[in-house]
Amino acid sequence: MLGMLANLFKVLNSDASPGQVALGFAFALFIGLTPFLSLHNFIILFLVFIIRVNLSTFFLGCALFSLVAYGIDPLSISLGQLLLNLPELQDFWIGLYQSDFWRASKFNHTLLLGSLTISSILFIPLFLTLTLLINVYRDRFMKWFETLKISKLIKASKFYKLYEKLGA
Amino acid sequence: MTKWIRWSGLIGFTVLIALLAIFWMFAAAPIIKFSIEKFGSDAVGAKIDVAEVELGFNPLVLSISGVEVTDKSAPMSNLVSFDSAVADLSLFPLLLGKSIIQDMSLEGVEFGSIRKTSGALENNDEETSEKVVEPSAVKQASVSSVETEKAQDKPLSSTSEAIPSADEILAREPLVTVTRGEQFKLSLAEHKKELNESIALVPNASAMKGYQNDLDVVLAGKLKSVEDFKARKKALDKIKAQFKIDQKAIKRAQAAIKSAKKDLGSQWPLLKKAPGEDYKNIKGKYTLDANGTSNLTALLFGDDAGSYAKTGLKYYEKLSPLLASDEEAELIKEQQEKRLTGSFVHFPTDRPLPDFWVKNLSFSAKLPLGEVAVVVKDITHQQDVINKATTLKADGRNMNNLKALTLNGVLDHRNGQGMDTFDLNIQNWHLQALNLGLAGLELNQSNLNVQADVTFKGSDMNAHGQGQFSQAEFSSKDRTVLAKEMVAALTNIDKFVVSGKAQGEFSSPNLSIQSDLDNKLSKAFNKRLQQKQNELEKQLKQKLADKLFSYSGDYEDQLRELNATEGGLGDTSKAMGKMAKAEVSSYEDQLKADAKAKADKKKDKLKDKLENKFKKLF
Repeated sequence: MLGMLANLFKVLNSDASPGQVALGFAFALFIGLTPFLSLHNFIILFLVFIIRVNLSTFFLGCALFSLVAYGIDPLSISLGQLLLNLPELQDFWIGLYQSDFWRASKFNHTLLLGSLTISSILFIPLFLTLTLLINVYRDRFMKWFETLKISKLIKASKFYKLYEKLGA
Repeated sequence: MTKWIRWSGLIGFTVLIALLAIFWMFAAAPIIKFSIEKFGSDAVGAKIDVAEVELGFNPLVLSISGVEVTDKSAPMSNLVSFDSAVADLSLFPLLLGKSIIQDMSLEGVEFGSIRKTSGALENNDEETSEKVVEPSAVKQASVSSVETEKAQDKPLSSTSEAIPSADEILAREPLVTVTRGEQFKLSLAEHKKELNESIALVPNASAMKGYQNDLDVVLAGKLKSVEDFKARKKALDKIKAQFKIDQKAIKRAQAAIKSAKKDLGSQWPLLKKAPGEDYKNIKGKYTLDANGTSNLTALLFGDDAGSYAKTGLKYYEKLSPLLASDEEAELIKEQQEKRLTGSFVHFPTDRPLPDFWVKNLSFSAKLPLGEVAVVVKDITHQQDVINKATTLKADGRNMNNLKALTLNGVLDHRNGQGMDTFDLNIQNWHLQALNLGLAGLELNQSNLNVQADVTFKGSDMNAHGQGQFSQAEFSSKDRTVLAKEMVAALTNIDKFVVSGKAQGEFSSPNLSIQSDLDNKLSKAFNKRLQQKQNELEKQLKQKLADKLFSYSGDYEDQLRELNATEGGLGDTSKAMGKMAKAEVSSYEDQLKADAKAKADKKKDKLKDKLENKFKKLF
């Protein structure tokens, strides 16, 4: 946990692009909230690897959202169930169901569809909000934060030193 | 734009995917081989051996070679084996964990081939160890097991009991004559023992003579003195005491005879009736009448029909559970999954995806009759998902002695109970040298057309079949009159129809076989069967009488002997009483006579004296 916090501060305080940091975190939504072994996650991983997003925040986000998923899984399932049973969408789902590719994507799974929907809805707002927040943090709070006792404590920790040493 | 692309990431991702692909290429085939052997063996309950598995990726093709599926009930033989199988797999369903095989073809299919090693599973060793036999013995063992099954098969065995010999009938039937005879024999022995013991205590003729002599000695001459009287009285009392003992013995013997007569007398009429009762029972059971010919068809063809049916049912019994959908287990699993990880919602589709589905399986099997090409469509344990029943079509090709063979089957397990139907059609089956197993009878040759259908619903079966025989020629190696007459009767029969049905639980259906051959043979054999029946009845009666005699001996003579002994004992008893009474009374008479003689003598003397005195007075 301490390592993760140190990691977060390191990234926030680095000169990494706020967009890349926010995008890494936003992509982590999909991996963390939706069932891991899914076709869309393969695509997300591919994107994360080839787009210059911040991998540290991505992995940090994955761990964080996996924990969050335990809390919102019931909501995801209910949403998925609602969408899959929505009369207006029946033709759409039936159309997708005729395709092996879409069946392989497991779109008709309540948890997967619900969590994917939540992730998709949150993706852009989260990206934009995080970009904004990182900019605000760097402009207004970074110097003040470094003077805080907790910040010094983290920087003095073995983890942080090791982290800096490895140049992560 | 390019500053947003991480080239190293792209390379890393490609390398990762390549590694995964390489791993899959090398590991997939052994994993599939292991899965077939492990999970297949668990499902079948006996070893499944796979020689090699290969996976081709473009197109996605699975090749399996050297597959042997052990027969659980006979671990040294295979239920089915094939040299190679090639299956076209669908890629996307595989990503969902669903094995959808478009086409699957098998080569070198064999049923019942011999294994080199036992195919019993290790944990089933104890269960099947007795069944593990050497390959050479397998055939023999299977024949004997079939015979045992036949023996247990009531309908078939009862038909084969139509005309057994009198000795066979008596040997296998529980006879009342034997039961009552054994009881009679036991009672007779007990009474004989008691009689012998009691009669041994009864005085015989010489003993009676001895008593007479003793009495003569005691009572001879006159009493000389008081001592003489006392001595004689003592001897007489001793003889009297012996008389009492002997009379007791006589009474015991008489009682024993009375008891024996009463007991044996009550058992004897029942024993005498027993052969009659036995004969009546046997006659009813063995249909020793002209109608017995109605069983003749079953006697001639029942065993073969039964054997074919058993083989068919054996394979059906093995395959049927594999088609049953484990819906309940899936429902529970899905409910558990729903709580934790959500569930799948299914939609109407013309592209259903069950967990396992072979859309088209084709193979050719080499059977003793020739080669049979089999096409099975829609093999799955989730027929409700694809909404299709499994269909089977088998066609004979290059058949020996057979013009055409077709077998069509529909295995429909979409509803809980399931209904499977098969129909069989055989045309111009040229039968040769078929041993019919009765009176050395052989069907030299005949053309046979068969139409049969069977329906399995749950555990019930309903089968009907008809065989039309034409150009039939019969012969017999036996030189018995029956064999000759049968051949003579059958010579005139060129065509006949045999029909059969099997209904009830498919593990033990009620079988029956009828034929117009029965009527034809019945007419020809009525007379001969009547003679045979009369002979058999006579033999049975004689043998039952012999059996009765073996238990009772000549009971009438023994009864006469008992009566004679009883009479003799009565005489002895009377003689002894008379003897004792007569001798004692003569002794008293003698004393009285002596006293009377003395008194008479004195009286005479006084009389004479008085007369002389009177004479002197007048």
